[in-house]
Amino acid sequence: MQTILISFILLPFIAGGVAFLLPKGAQILRAALVLLAAIADFLIAVFLFNQEAIITLPWAGCGMDFSLRLNHFSAFIILAAAFFSLLIVIYSLKFFKEQTKANQFYMYLLVSLSLVNGAVLANNLILLLFFWEGLLITLFGMIAMGGKSAFKTATKAFIIIGVSDLCLMAGIALTGFLAGTLVISEINLPLGSLSSLAFMLLVIGAVSKAGSMPFHSWIPDAATDAPLPFMAILPASLEKLLGIYFLARICLEMFKLNPDSWLSILLMIIGALTIFLAVMMALVQKNYKKLLSYHAISQVGYMILGIGTALPIGIAGGLFHMLNHALYKSCLFLTAGAVEKQTGTTDLEKLGGLSKKMPLTFMAFTVAALSISGVPPFNGFFSKEMVYHAARERGEWFYIIAVAGAFLTAASFLKLGHAVFLGKSRPEHKEVKEAPLTMLVPMGILALVCIGFGIFNYLPLNNFIYPILGAGFNVKSFAGVSGDWTLIAITCAVLSVALIHHFIWVKRSGSALTAADHIHHAPVLAVFYNWAGKKYFDPYDLGLKLINGITFFFWRIDRGIDWVYSFFIAGGAGVCSKVIRRMHAGYYVIYASWALLGAVIVMYLVFK
Amino acid sequence: MLSLFILIPLLLLFILNLPVKFIRQGAFGLVGLLLSVQILAALLHSLFPWSAFPEILGSFFIFSLAVDNLTLVMLLTIGTVALVSLIVAASTIGQERLRFYFVNLLLICVIGMNAIVLVRDIFSLYVFIEIVSVSSFILIALERNKSAIEGTFKYLMLSAMATVFILSGIACFLLAAGDLSFVSIHSAFYDPAASFILKVAASLFLCGLFIKAGVAPFHGWVMDAYLASPASVSVLLAGVATKISGVYVLLRLFGSVFIVNAPLQNIILFAGAFSIVLGALAALTQDDLKRMLAYSSISQIGYIILALGCATPLAFAGAVFHFFNHAIFKSLLFVNAAALEKRFGSTDMNKLAGQGYKMPVTGITSLMGVLSTAGIPPLSGFWSKLIIILALFSSGRFVYAGIALLASVLTLAYFLVFQRRIFFCKSELQEPALENPGKISRALGFSEISLAIITVVTGAVFVFMPGNWIMPLKGIFW
Repeated sequence: MQTILISFILLPFIAGGVAFLLPKGAQILRAALVLLAAIADFLIAVFLFNQEAIITLPWAGCGMDFSLRLNHFSAFIILAAAFFSLLIVIYSLKFFKEQTKANQFYMYLLVSLSLVNGAVLANNLILLLFFWEGLLITLFGMIAMGGKSAFKTATKAFIIIGVSDLCLMAGIALTGFLAGTLVISEINLPLGSLSSLAFMLLVIGAVSKAGSMPFHSWIPDAATDAPLPFMAILPASLEKLLGIYFLARICLEMFKLNPDSWLSILLMIIGALTIFLAVMMALVQKNYKKLLSYHAISQVGYMILGIGTALPIGIAGGLFHMLNHALYKSCLFLTAGAVEKQTGTTDLEKLGGLSKKMPLTFMAFTVAALSISGVPPFNGFFSKEMVYHAARERGEWFYIIAVAGAFLTAASFLKLGHAVFLGKSRPEHKEVKEAPLTMLVPMGILALVCIGFGIFNYLPLNNFIYPILGAGFNVKSFAGVSGDWTLIAITCAVLSVALIHHFIWVKRSGSALTAADHIHHAPVLAVFYNWAGKKYFDPYDLGLKLINGITFFFWRIDRGIDWVYSFFIAGGAGVCSKVIRRMHAGYYVIYASWALLGAVIVMYLVFK
Repeated sequence: MLSLFILIPLLLLFILNLPVKFIRQGAFGLVGLLLSVQILAALLHSLFPWSAFPEILGSFFIFSLAVDNLTLVMLLTIGTVALVSLIVAASTIGQERLRFYFVNLLLICVIGMNAIVLVRDIFSLYVFIEIVSVSSFILIALERNKSAIEGTFKYLMLSAMATVFILSGIACFLLAAGDLSFVSIHSAFYDPAASFILKVAASLFLCGLFIKAGVAPFHGWVMDAYLASPASVSVLLAGVATKISGVYVLLRLFGSVFIVNAPLQNIILFAGAFSIVLGALAALTQDDLKRMLAYSSISQIGYIILALGCATPLAFAGAVFHFFNHAIFKSLLFVNAAALEKRFGSTDMNKLAGQGYKMPVTGITSLMGVLSTAGIPPLSGFWSKLIIILALFSSGRFVYAGIALLASVLTLAYFLVFQRRIFFCKSELQEPALENPGKISRALGFSEISLAIITVVTGAVFVFMPGNWIMPLKGIFW
């Protein structure tokens, strides 16, 4: 029973390695192997759901044991990860044109799954760090698969995540020092001065893995550079699951975050800013995948805001939103992949009227878009309502920002759907057909689950979310349509306004694509958008510029030192040498007079 | 018994000049044998019962001869460098007549130097200094061309000044002490009544010996004399002749005979540091290899003078050790210069630039000499400079220690420029037209390699040296 936990790590890892090493011709065998591994992982996760298990093996010593712990929370995350991996594997069967890329992708995907499983199950901070850092390698590899420009993006992602992982490492060291143990389930620290620092460092690691601001800037770049299934698997689902899972464990288990703490306010501010700024950027994007990637950042804000409220309903909402987000955002990315595969582009200016050519894709997109916009009764609506509820209890401003984010989300998805699937069909897309079955099935399943988790929201809430919060939390039931009717009314009103706004501006500007341009070109915002376009707000670019500046500064100092050596000292020596050389003119009279003068000086000094 | 160091060469000098043809033809071999015996005698000094036999010369003259470790080191150095000079002469001097002159003059020079290090009275010292000087004059002018005569003339003029200083000094000592042996002069320094005249005598001696040693600003003759002389004579002059008649006498007199007062000591220190810096700076922009080596020689003598001014037993030990090392590596570099001159017909570095790669043995041995001069561990020059700088530090003269350290950088600078220009790059230009084409002889290569080996081995076995050679030196000085 206990040893089966290791299979979560070993099974995908070995399957990935074998799939990679299989000879070139064995495509069907490889596909079958990868599929079987994903199915097996999923089945084990289902089988082990709702069970408890701990396994501890000796590893590095000094308190660093190979310790895995399966409880309700980790079993839930593992189940979700296995589910999404299985769907992406099915989706990828037909996605890649080049077989060598597919090989690499399967290997990276399964190894990532193994590492995520390891990080989720790890009950030891060092073991967690081991798996966590391993993900950095597969992340780099997956982005770098995209080609030449992707390599730069991969480096960017590597550096950003590397820096935040460094913070995580420092946080783990500090936590281990303060708590006196590295076993996660034994850590229980009050938030003091030093432990607040540890908390913050760990949170930086967690939220940057989830893709929150200001550690987000690689995601939009990767959206256009990396292969699409990567976006659907890592930034959209697995990394969110892992990052938010760890954030929740930090806030719930390792430290007791209470609503009075300033750290709670800090988390909420991070969440609110992420929601608003990322969705503002999403609104003006002209690329399918880029727009989605900004939403992938923005939605993290709701999760962080929800968990940051430190209220049970907020935490439940944040976790539920994490699950919902993974569902609809994967689905959206998969539709983007289908559109890209069938039409060859994701540029919104070249797309239009695809609803007749790809009706099933359009249906999946519609469901997912309604979910992300928070339209009742889709799943995104319920989780957002829970977050709104908690945010409003903590402060009106957080609530207003969250609702404004919802408005902008709805507006940008109206624009996106309208531009891609409705409107006039393009002449060059006459031959476009519906996506292949292996790509439609995952999209369809995800869309159905979105609807199902919306209408029957008590199922995921009761089975997955509430047990995590334990008996100590007193949660108002949001199962079924219930709760605060004012909030629901406001949400419905905001969504209606978004719809009306969209149609008014479509009419005024002439096309769906430009429906949000008045916001883009609004007097003050235009300047900020311009700056954002020039990457003035990208912490990575700012960091690079800062480092360049520092480097330049030190380079000047170095030149100065070099000047002292090569011009001042060497030149000075050269000048002295030439003067001395000229003094030695070769006349013995001069030499003799020097000697006499020397003798006189000696006499003078002796008898002075 | 010790007088054999003087009498045997003297006897050989007579034999060589007998009108017998085969003796003349074998002159180089005979002198070489003699010098080898001298090296052996100095090395195996403990086997010789020096005092068991009566001194032959001592019964005729008032010479008082004595041997101590300082003398032994000097005898060893004289033998080695003179032998190298002889080998170089054998393969560079062509004319039979000049070869014979050279052997005789070398022998006279060796007699003088041996006597300088053995005698223990100040007048005999002066006489032998003059013997060395006179033989040097003729050796420099051996080829009788214009530049040789010019170099000799400058040396002659400044030596004359030195003679005036030294003779006046001797007169003063005679006045004050009544006797010229080291012992009585030393005891005269304890007499307060004679202090003024002794100060005059000591400072006169200092000036005279500075000229002989070529310490700045008394160094005017050094460059032209070294440059103008034939290759073998440069080796002899730079390696031992001027060092024995100048530096050794300074070490002996100011280290163990005179009692040096503070102003004099400061003058010596300053002159040493000044020589180091001036020599090194001047060497930076020289075009002629031998002239550069001459400036380098001035700079290296500065270290010995600096140690003399420091006036602690450790500093003296370092000075003597540096004396020996300098004789070896400076001879090595002059032999290299001789090899280059023989191969390419010039010592002008502009003409030699980029040609040295054709002479790998010379290049490598030159590198050893260069690194040793600059004081790169673990070569011999490093240890002696280290002892000198340590002695300066431990006596609290930090500024001088700093100058001595930094001047090593300058030394390395000019030598690496030389090494790179000549040996470490290839010139596209054709080899310059050779005046006396021909490969360097095996003997030249042998002496290069031997000297390089001595430099390396002295550095490598340094740990065994202090107990046997260096520390006993401390006992000689006060």
